[in-house]
Amino acid sequence: MAEREPGRETMHHIACARGDVGRYVLLPGDPGRVPLIASFLDDARPVADHREYRTFTGSLLGEPVSVTSTGMGCPSTAIAVEELAMIGADTFVRVGTSGPMQPFLAPGDLVIVWAAIRDEVTSQQIEPLAFPAVADLDVTLALRDAARARGLPHHVGVSHTKDSFYGQHEPARMPIAGTLQARWDAWVAGGALCSEMEASTIFVLAQVRRCRAGGVMITGGTQQDLGSLVGTAVDAVRLLIRRDRAAGTGE
Amino acid sequence: MSSEAAPAQYHIQLRPGDVGRYVLLPGDPGRVPRIAAFLDDAVEVAHHREHRTFTGWLGGEKVSVTSTGIGGPSTAIAVEELARIGADTFIRVGTSGLMQPARMRSGDLVVVTAAVRDEGTGSHYLPLAFPAAGDPDVADCLRQACLERDVPYHVGLAHSKDAFYGEVQPERMPVAAELRARWDAWVRGGVLCSEMEAAALYIVCAVLRKRAGGIMVAIAEGRPALENLCATAVLGLRHLIARDAVAGR
Repeated sequence: MAEREPGRETMHHIACARGDVGRYVLLPGDPGRVPLIASFLDDARPVADHREYRTFTGSLLGEPVSVTSTGMGCPSTAIAVEELAMIGADTFVRVGTSGPMQPFLAPGDLVIVWAAIRDEVTSQQIEPLAFPAVADLDVTLALRDAARARGLPHHVGVSHTKDSFYGQHEPARMPIAGTLQARWDAWVAGGALCSEMEASTIFVLAQVRRCRAGGVMITGGTQQDLGSLVGTAVDAVRLLIRRDRAAGTGE
Repeated sequence: MSSEAAPAQYHIQLRPGDVGRYVLLPGDPGRVPRIAAFLDDAVEVAHHREHRTFTGWLGGEKVSVTSTGIGGPSTAIAVEELARIGADTFIRVGTSGLMQPARMRSGDLVVVTAAVRDEGTGSHYLPLAFPAAGDPDVADCLRQACLERDVPYHVGLAHSKDAFYGEVQPERMPVAAELRARWDAWVRGGVLCSEMEAAALYIVCAVLRKRAGGIMVAIAEGRPALENLCATAVLGLRHLIARDAVAGR
């Protein structure tokens, strides 16, 4: 890892400075999963641990790659992405768990998130709701290629990004139960594949900052084997590094 | 070509058999023959209201061209009725206003991955939070066609609006300030071009579980170079047909 550049400020929340992270960053929600994901990188070591933001940096194919936890939800995720972009990151891959929304999904299936429902307010403080939360085409195709190469069951499509976990899991006890249920039914009818809490803001923010973003989620909760999920995400970053180098846009 | 027993779809006046599963969608009925000229053995099969349809062949596959008319309302009607008679892949082909003058030139092509839902039709299907995103395979094939034809192109977002004159003459609208503020937000968000149908097309296709994509020529001044646009769109569709055949789709 590069030495911390002199005169560069440490970011307020993620406690990293320019030089601490690579341009490619994997984004789990849970700080507890950062070491597991980092173990898939070469020579990974911890570089910061502040609030819900834990960062490890290692390398793939000689290229610096980082893992930073976002915490749960779009508010903390937006802060992480903003600060990571300020110190040089430009390619974000969300890696996480989600709830399945379609009957054809089997527990453990991967969802490659091509676009996300903005059922959250953080991104509306960036762009009006009409603006699409869509991933980068190259990141998405790399994730799909990685899932295919591993022979894993996977689906490419839309994720539902929400602010309230218990509003989704226990809508009946919320005062706006009817609205929550009606909107949920609409997302399912629209073909949404899985529900999670961070993708839409990552995509909107990346678009506004002219960065790239994508995401891969495992459906069926945290009991599933995370190895296939993380391995797919890391393989995709490796593919992106090779393709960026071939296109002359690598470092 | 058509099955006379089935009733014609109400607005497009087409029956099962009249169209292929792949349909190119210009807005202007006057452009339908110009796009159809890139197909083999294309013939006109219907022309009712703003919906004009030619059907021909491409790579051994039946392909149609149907005009949507201007705007989301007539586009949704065309897509609904085309889907009912067997179409499952829709590619919008059209003109648009250029929104990023610092990094685009008039005549550049835009492969539209997703669209800003600044229109009303899509909200009759899904709440505004739902993304109007096309199919990544369709976008990838259109991008491949741009690369092979070595034409200047960009991949990204389009702005889909309801009011043409609200965009080009916002100052005379009572909601001028809001129109300007929203326009600035789209530009700062990196939106590449402004048009009037992509968002409704993508939302209707999400609900119908059909594939959609779009390729636009972005114009800053002068007349659009339609031949380049049409040739690139048809080449992209040719790639998609070939990929579907390999995938057994």
